[in-house]
Amino acid sequence: MWGVYAGLLLSFIGGFLVHLYSHPKIHFFWETLPFFSALYGFVGCILIVIGSKALGHWWLQKKEDYYEEQEQMRSEN
Amino acid sequence: MEWFHPGFIYLLGVPLIPVLKGTWKKAFLLSLPLLAFTVLFLMSKGILLSEGKTWVLPFLGHVLILGQVDKLSIVFAYVFVIASFCMILYALHIQEDGQHIAAYLYVGSTLGVVFAGDLITLFFFWEIMAWSALFLVWYRRTKKAYDAGFRYILVHLFGGACLLGGVLLYLETTGSIVFQPFRLEWGLDWNNIASYLILLGFLINAAVPPLHAWLADAYPEATVTGAVFLTAFTTKGAIYVLIRGFPGAELLTWLGAIMAVYGVVFAVLENDIRRLLAYHIISQVGYMVSGVGMGVMGTVAGEMAINGAAAHAFCHILYKALLFMGAGAVIEVTRRSKLTELGGLYRSMPITFHLYMVGAYSISGFPLFNGFISKTMVVEASAMWHLPIVWLMLEGASIGTFLHTGLKLPWGTWFVKGEPACEAKEPPKNMLAAMGITAFLCTLLGVYPKILYDLLPYPVHYQPYTAAHVVSMSQLLLFTFIAFWLFRRMLQGEPTVTLDTDWFYRMAGKKVIWFCEKPLMAFATYVDAKVMAIVNFVVWVSRNPAIALSIKKEEVVIGVKRLLVNSERVKDDELWLEEKRKSYPGDLPKLSLGGSIFLILLALSLYLILYLVSLHLEVS
Repeated sequence: MWGVYAGLLLSFIGGFLVHLYSHPKIHFFWETLPFFSALYGFVGCILIVIGSKALGHWWLQKKEDYYEEQEQMRSEN
Repeated sequence: MEWFHPGFIYLLGVPLIPVLKGTWKKAFLLSLPLLAFTVLFLMSKGILLSEGKTWVLPFLGHVLILGQVDKLSIVFAYVFVIASFCMILYALHIQEDGQHIAAYLYVGSTLGVVFAGDLITLFFFWEIMAWSALFLVWYRRTKKAYDAGFRYILVHLFGGACLLGGVLLYLETTGSIVFQPFRLEWGLDWNNIASYLILLGFLINAAVPPLHAWLADAYPEATVTGAVFLTAFTTKGAIYVLIRGFPGAELLTWLGAIMAVYGVVFAVLENDIRRLLAYHIISQVGYMVSGVGMGVMGTVAGEMAINGAAAHAFCHILYKALLFMGAGAVIEVTRRSKLTELGGLYRSMPITFHLYMVGAYSISGFPLFNGFISKTMVVEASAMWHLPIVWLMLEGASIGTFLHTGLKLPWGTWFVKGEPACEAKEPPKNMLAAMGITAFLCTLLGVYPKILYDLLPYPVHYQPYTAAHVVSMSQLLLFTFIAFWLFRRMLQGEPTVTLDTDWFYRMAGKKVIWFCEKPLMAFATYVDAKVMAIVNFVVWVSRNPAIALSIKKEEVVIGVKRLLVNSERVKDDELWLEEKRKSYPGDLPKLSLGGSIFLILLALSLYLILYLVSLHLEVS
């Protein structure tokens, strides 16, 4: 885990250094934030997990034998 | 010899597979991709034809072009051939000839599509692709595989029919079958409809939602080795034809971006490891579709987008094959495919884990792996076109990709539990070797992208390894990891299936069968009974028309009487009629032979008169 923490810190500092020294081409306003990618990665990941799980639990996820059960119901009719 | 078709190396090699035995067969199987690679190498060096049309055959007043060669077709052919070598090595322990035959028909026909210069040739190979892929699913020999295979082929036959319809309409409206960019405009004239139909056929093979469900339905049910082949050819063949037919179609930019996110969302919910990876095929192909949409010809950003789509297809085929090989190895040794039934396998299969992780780093776009050098080209193109929403969707899909392929799946398969969930060992050596070679190629292209960039259709002015790219990608992925670590409990597999758009045809299919069995059948029985009643009546009448007529007349008379006079008197009549019915047909007059012949002659002469009269009427 220490490697990961070191990487986090390095990439974070790297973001500021890049902005100070290499002046990358800015296409969108958020690219002026040196830590935008870190923020987007963290928040985006949480949103994907929670959003998808909500969608799944309330609507899309069914029991494993969902389709077999439907088949059975049909043959009983 | 001016040129030789690389696809025909596979197609002509197929009949020899059942003839050869043992080591010879294995050597033969491995030699075909090497031979095709040599031919391609000679093509790209200009020794064989490297640009132009060849293998032209006359066909029904048109020409079939089997060899349409340029940089775009060569780069796609390269990756298909290289991937087929790794894949056949992975499948080399399979004894059953049929599986190898299906695989090589599949590879050969995809190369046929890649070099097709006209729409008829394209359609021909397109159909062989669909059918040979079907057998890679069916050879699993489980009920689920048979069912999924049937659904697979029905969807692809529909797609093929759309393509054929489009091709014929295109031929009718333009008089040409040459495969070149189609006009895509709004409005319902026949030429537009032809374009729509062709696009629809292509989009079904590219697995663009809502036409994607066949992929996540069938691929996870295929054989372990067959699924590895399936990941590469159908969808990337579709990307190739989209680049040829619809470059710069704006619709595709958005469809691709939606695809990229769609696959990610569904992968969160998935429990089956290969189905999870299958949803990531959809997601990754989204980048390519989006790239095709941004590929307006003649613009700098457009050329960047087309290069990006082609490069990403190249890299994707390699790392996705590697990922499916890793997941397939787990299924091969454990006979389990669900995250809820796996876990703790690291101690028994560490090599598989590390090789899989190379694929996972590649698909996530870690610097030094091949996804980084190709995916960022498409994302960069969206920045050059100033499409903020597309950019955010594509970057967001990267997060999800790393989250599932790089974290959730390996965590659930090789770790989670302290104890291994089941017995496991490393897979056979040929499988490990195939994974090793593929992993090497993924890393090689990541470290030294020039090899790939030189093959791309347009000159590449893109530098992936700038400080800004590396830092922002590292930030994105590392902070995704932190979020995963916090939510890892929530991300464990759940024993469920996820409904997708295949629900419509799976359930609609059942409704159709119910409709056929119940209402349609009842209607058919009713019509049948009515028709038979008429027939019976005619037969009854013809037994003695004179008495039959009088019976019918009496029936009408009794009916009228019942209305007018009291029922006592009618009753007598009814009894009498009943007697008459019972004695029907009664004594029939016996005809002598002469009498019969006379009647027949009478009928024939009536017919003759009728004929002559009608002839006369016609003349006048």
